[in-house]
Amino acid sequence: MKYLVNTQNFVFMTLLAVLLWPSAGGIPRYLLILVLVLEGVTLLRTFTGRTEASRQGAGDVAAIIFGVLLAWQLATARFGLLDKMLFPTPESVLRMFVSELPDMLKGLVNSLILLVSGYFLALGTALPLGLLVGWRSRLFHAVNPFTKVMGPIPPIVYIPYAIALLPSFRSASIFIIFIGAFWPIFINTVHGVFGIPKGLLDSARVLNLKERTLLWRIILPGAMPSICTGSSLGLLFSFVLLAAAELIGANSGIGWYVKNFADFADYRRVIVGIIFIGFVVTAITWGTERVEKRLLRWRS
Amino acid sequence: MHEIAINNVSYAYGSHEVLRDISLTAEAGEFICLLGPSGCGKSTLLRLLAGLASPTSGAITLDGNPITGPGLDRGVVFQDYSLFPWMTVGENIVLALEQAFPGKKRNEYREIAAGYLEMVGLPNAQDKLPGELSGGMRQRAAIARVFAIDSPVLLMDEPFGALDAITRARLQDLLLQLWQQREGERKTVFFVTHDVEEAILLGNRIVVLGVNPGSVKGIFPVDIPRPRLRQDLFLLESFQLLRNRLVNVLHENILSQLDGGQTVLSPGEAI
Repeated sequence: MKYLVNTQNFVFMTLLAVLLWPSAGGIPRYLLILVLVLEGVTLLRTFTGRTEASRQGAGDVAAIIFGVLLAWQLATARFGLLDKMLFPTPESVLRMFVSELPDMLKGLVNSLILLVSGYFLALGTALPLGLLVGWRSRLFHAVNPFTKVMGPIPPIVYIPYAIALLPSFRSASIFIIFIGAFWPIFINTVHGVFGIPKGLLDSARVLNLKERTLLWRIILPGAMPSICTGSSLGLLFSFVLLAAAELIGANSGIGWYVKNFADFADYRRVIVGIIFIGFVVTAITWGTERVEKRLLRWRS
Repeated sequence: MHEIAINNVSYAYGSHEVLRDISLTAEAGEFICLLGPSGCGKSTLLRLLAGLASPTSGAITLDGNPITGPGLDRGVVFQDYSLFPWMTVGENIVLALEQAFPGKKRNEYREIAAGYLEMVGLPNAQDKLPGELSGGMRQRAAIARVFAIDSPVLLMDEPFGALDAITRARLQDLLLQLWQQREGERKTVFFVTHDVEEAILLGNRIVVLGVNPGSVKGIFPVDIPRPRLRQDLFLLESFQLLRNRLVNVLHENILSQLDGGQTVLSPGEAI
């Protein structure tokens, strides 16, 4: 019983009452379904949660979501306090989200092709170069001044030039995403190599490892914590740059989607696009966190 | 034949003189303890022997050949950082075996590794990460690795310095047992320690180093027959005499470092 009488369910009941209250527009069906599903999932987690903290966590998150939806619903559909064009009702955004999902997924595929090409190009060059530069001090001293100057240049400033320089929008965006991801990965890899405890390097040296074995089996895993930091930073940068490039020059993709409908003052689709991007980034972050956890298993 | 000769070796780090004119010869199969207070350069001397650094002047030879860099003819155990934390204990040993005996199959390496892990009392540690083991178990694994590559010379840098007394005693016994196992082809060992009793228990000879700069203060043979049993050792008169002599040498060295104007008070007087 004590799991049922709490803030989450109080907000839930209030929201339910607001949604079911007879009004001109009828019952917002999509919103109702979403709210019921959320409540169901939360209740399930409340009863199966292993610790008190995880139970409370699920309830608190649900309470916040319900609170936001309640405020949104009251301010738009119920009392019409906000500008109708800039603030569409939750129900209409939800309906739009469902109907636009196929188009957005198609755009996403286009965007991801650019993202993956640019990002993996950066990973494939910055990682080996970073290991080598971190390991050979002469190379480091030769390269360091250039890293210091070029690294901090905001990659966004390359966009206009890249679009002019390169034959297609596609190649220009891949180039920009590459630049954006390259420096954080490179710099963090170099610092990762520096951060390997001297004792471990001595231990490797007394085993007389060949340089290739040393780089691959000692330096790479030793620098891995820092490489992971750099790689997720690089991924985040490439996502920002992808969206920025698409806002400027694309004719497809998820960034273009938002920009295009903003030009037509279709803010419902703009909001839908932004929410969709949020989900995509969350999914990618979740994936990289899993990979990172696996790679750094030995640290726990 | 694994005789190590250290001839007039000095080592300076920039303008800081760490070791001055060290000369010492270790016969094949000898167990030499390098004893001294912290900062006497005993670890530096071991690094020179390992080939991780080169003497500023003088030379170190192994069977007459000068040491120019690290090599698998000298196995090293450090106080920590011996094992690579991202590899399992088994992978750590296999990596070393691949360097020492190239050209075998992976399974053969794993079997050899398992054998040595069993020998040091870690039969189930093959697939464990070093982080999952206690400090004592990690040093056991490091000893398993160094014996697996079967280098004729063994260099140990305070390998038990970070362990509790009971674990340390167990590992000292294990080390002696492994070292004595093969009569006639014993490894030549250099063992760095700051613990007088550990040095007497383990060594054939004890080289006492002094500070500022590190130099040999005296070389003391340990005439206590082996096997040396810990429980009897402390009762032996020869043990007690040697311990007192070593403590005195270490103490004199520390006193001579103090400012001339300072007087050392008798115990308790300062309280």
